[in-house]
Amino acid sequence: MSEILTYLGKDEEYEVYELFFGPNHPGMSGNFSYILTVDGHTIKKVSPDPGLLHRGFEKLVERRLWLQNIALIPRICVPEPDINEMVYSTAIEKLCHIDVPLRASYIRTIVLEMARLSAFLFGFGGIGGTTGLYTASYWSISDRDYLLDLFEWLTGARVYHMYILPGGVRRDLPNGWTEKLKETIDYLQKRLNEYDRLIYNNPLVIKRLKGLGKIEKELAIEYGITGPNLKATGVKYDIRKMVPYAAYDKIDFDIPSQNEGDGLARAIQRREEFQLSLDIIRKALKDIPDGPVRANMPNPLKFKVPKGEVYVKIESARGEHAYYIVSDGGDKPYRMAVRGGSYTAGLILAQKVLVGCRIEDVALWMATMDICPPDFDR
Amino acid sequence: MNQKELIEYIKNNFKGIENIKSIDEKQFSITVQKERIINILSFLKLSNFKELALITAVDWIKEEKIEVVYILFSYEYEQQLIVKTYIDRQEPSIESIKNLWEIATMYERDVHEFFGIDFIGNDDKRPLILHNWKDIPPLRKDFDSLKYSNTIFGKFKKDKE
Repeated sequence: MSEILTYLGKDEEYEVYELFFGPNHPGMSGNFSYILTVDGHTIKKVSPDPGLLHRGFEKLVERRLWLQNIALIPRICVPEPDINEMVYSTAIEKLCHIDVPLRASYIRTIVLEMARLSAFLFGFGGIGGTTGLYTASYWSISDRDYLLDLFEWLTGARVYHMYILPGGVRRDLPNGWTEKLKETIDYLQKRLNEYDRLIYNNPLVIKRLKGLGKIEKELAIEYGITGPNLKATGVKYDIRKMVPYAAYDKIDFDIPSQNEGDGLARAIQRREEFQLSLDIIRKALKDIPDGPVRANMPNPLKFKVPKGEVYVKIESARGEHAYYIVSDGGDKPYRMAVRGGSYTAGLILAQKVLVGCRIEDVALWMATMDICPPDFDR
Repeated sequence: MNQKELIEYIKNNFKGIENIKSIDEKQFSITVQKERIINILSFLKLSNFKELALITAVDWIKEEKIEVVYILFSYEYEQQLIVKTYIDRQEPSIESIKNLWEIATMYERDVHEFFGIDFIGNDDKRPLILHNWKDIPPLRKDFDSLKYSNTIFGKFKKDKE
């Protein structure tokens, strides 16, 4: 034992060790690590250790033209890349005062909701894998593949799509794609009942998740927690509803919320939002108008964005995903700061909430909070 | 309160604001002096701007200044507020706001690492993301990433056909 762990000292009863939870731990999501000080099985101190995934996006965008960056920025986030294109395009549209055609807004809404569904499916697998229900992860990853097939048909790529561009989207929906999407939505709706039986009504999962990492409403706001994690504490706030982007202001939907604020509430919140995404796609497909899919844009090589700064945020599967973009009137972004959805949860809240938990709770807590290392290690 | 009333309210209740600018209907920015940053942020926190979304910085190399940016959000008014202040580029330092928001410790550690800004009162200056970094802070404009990569990894050579 002592070869693996660093011996730190002795308290009254037990010896205290330092444990590297990650980056090679099977329960860790991505290249990230928590250094835990453990006393027996109980965690005494948590220090996050990011840096293994740093690719320097904020610097790289400063060397490339405004439209060249479209190929770069989806790489920031692996499970849900489309949010990056959307934030970046919206920022340029706000700075240049470009109006996006209505059909393009609807297509963006559909693509973003599909990306959210695939991110949630990843999350289902995470909860399954960390509670020992490996069936859930196999099922959800294979179901996610149906969505990736549709993405491939629509955009030519499975994971990084580069589909949402400033001024609209790259191309119109192909023939027959809408029907196939409807079929997939109906299939996922049917599968949701199976997931309920497998995960959300499973006594084992309920027992493990109940009371895990409970946070109160005030603490969540103070710590900058957003998205499903905030809604699970009872704050009914959703950027799609309150600061609408794409075509969300034209679609009628209700935001689900929970009250408990513990791991189970967060898991159930994600399940409810999965249902919401299915409903939004159905409504968007019903209302989608005809028309052009991209506004007239200047030559990409000579494209300049007027001087100014803007903070654009959208609702990702993990919360508020935002860019602060500054332009000095040139052909490249002057500064782009990324605020990932789980920045505060993974780096700061973890130091507070995980103290007193057991080692096996760390992976589960990360799965319910949907901690994604690229959010802070960009 | 809508944005207009909110701007009026801030103007009437806080002295020393240099500039207020509306960016869109849900977002506006204010500029203050470096010395007033703790005062304005604690005033805004008490006026229901409870969420600190981000602390970041912009390096204005031609003006010899660094702009420190605090992005706040109010769940009550649904308004995004960007608070800006300018500091000297040669000896960049500003007071830490870790007593106002605990999460500021990590944001400030991040900005310290990438811009070399000294946050007075925040002693946590351990490297967060860049381990064993020996060059100047990388998000400064005079840091050339291509030159750095050429010196560290050697010049890029094309494969021979």
